[in-house]
Amino acid sequence: MDFTKILEMLAGGMLKSMGIFILTLVFSLPLGLIISFGRMSKNKIVSFIVKIYISVMRGTPLMLQLLVVFFGPFYLWEANIGGPYRFIAVILAFALNYAAYFAEIYRSGIESMPSGQYEAAQILGYSRAQTFFKIILPQVIKRILPAVTNEVITLVKDTSLAFAIAYTEMFTLAKQIAAKETTFVPFIVAAVFYYIFNLLVAVIMEHAEKKLNYYQ
Amino acid sequence: MKKKILSVLLAAAMVGSLTVGCGSNSSEEKKDTAPTTEEGKETTEETEAKTETITSVAKKEGDTFTVGFDAEYPPYGYMDDNGDYTGFDLELAQAVCDLKGWKLVKTPIAWDSKDMELNSGSIDCIWNGFTMNGREDDYTWSDPYVDNSQVMVVSESSGIKDLAGLSGKIVGVQASSAALELLQDEEGQKKLADTFATLQEFPDYNSAFVELQAGSVDAIAMDVGVAKYQLETRGEGYAILDEELNTEKYAIGFRKDDTGTRDQVNEALKELVKDGTFTKLAEKYDIADMVCLKAE
Repeated sequence: MDFTKILEMLAGGMLKSMGIFILTLVFSLPLGLIISFGRMSKNKIVSFIVKIYISVMRGTPLMLQLLVVFFGPFYLWEANIGGPYRFIAVILAFALNYAAYFAEIYRSGIESMPSGQYEAAQILGYSRAQTFFKIILPQVIKRILPAVTNEVITLVKDTSLAFAIAYTEMFTLAKQIAAKETTFVPFIVAAVFYYIFNLLVAVIMEHAEKKLNYYQ
Repeated sequence: MKKKILSVLLAAAMVGSLTVGCGSNSSEEKKDTAPTTEEGKETTEETEAKTETITSVAKKEGDTFTVGFDAEYPPYGYMDDNGDYTGFDLELAQAVCDLKGWKLVKTPIAWDSKDMELNSGSIDCIWNGFTMNGREDDYTWSDPYVDNSQVMVVSESSGIKDLAGLSGKIVGVQASSAALELLQDEEGQKKLADTFATLQEFPDYNSAFVELQAGSVDAIAMDVGVAKYQLETRGEGYAILDEELNTEKYAIGFRKDDTGTRDQVNEALKELVKDGTFTKLAEKYDIADMVCLKAE
């Protein structure tokens, strides 16, 4: 296998890794916000249950969660887990896991807002929903962006865990090519791919931070 | 409310799968000691009546046949120059499928989860230089088709000439491999393994060979077919010890209750031996001296 073929194969694998990356963000970012509401809920039962959810999701390895989400339906209900379920399980496990982390990041942002802002908004006649979406959330996003960037970059590298349930993303392909060629070249290529992608993520996030920095 | 249901479900699923996992494990161990063949099968059917519903039915023309394999295991299953999965075992599987009119699906799996993949029905069989010795009761096996042996690979400069020379040395072996099982088995080569300084487990042969080259391990235990492929592609500097650790057989592993598909594959293999396809493939992958399936 020549070098251009290795590049081509790994680029194809990178697309699959990016598929996991993008879909995970699409589902986990909104889900995280909902979970953070549950976590901050005045209802003790809801906040307790959500707290357990976050604790389990953060306290167990993502690799194990992938195995549970993929094989669980079979061992519990003898469900058929063939066909497209493998990919669905990958996205499901990643989204559920990352949502727990994002929830805590959202909470840190929301709880850092001074209560005076809520009172002022109330006096100005804002409803609770308006207060949150028009006043609080834009400031929260600004504040939590660096923490979110951290998680997002970790997510890029975590995509390689998908092979625990036999989903062949980029790193798996790199290992397979390395085994066939009996060299380490594919790993170096894989490292460069990950680095470039993360550099891109970092640059985009930095740009977003600058854009949101409208008061300075 | 939704969050609540979701989190309860998740918690239940995690706890549930853990206990279920343990449960099936212990019953599997019991099955190992149970007498094989007919009697063993009956107890299996009772305890695992649930799993039986998935597939003990024989396959029909047009059905898919999903083969689980380790894609880092040349020459039996690996990626070719075009990026497609190939190898002696996979081409043989293709030939079986052509004969039977099945559609072959090649699923590279994480070797450590092979049993979960098989039992949950996401693959139909494990077909990838799969050693049957020592695992006789764990799977429904096809007829053995390759005579394999476990050997030691050393670097030529080390001066190690026989198994006795490995005393006090660091020996590498792939995790979850037949070689590792052999070196840990009291009736196998445990005595030999006890003379090693350390038995070091590796995820793949690529890193093991780099360590051998770098001198951080002194020898690697592996299947002879794999050893030949590695030595051929890596060139000079390595040697296979003449003394073998054992001899064993490769076969295709099916779910315990899945004798239907097994019988069909056996039948197809016999035909492939008869029409010469089997020998041709063995010659192509340079293992003609190792195959053991003969026309009757």
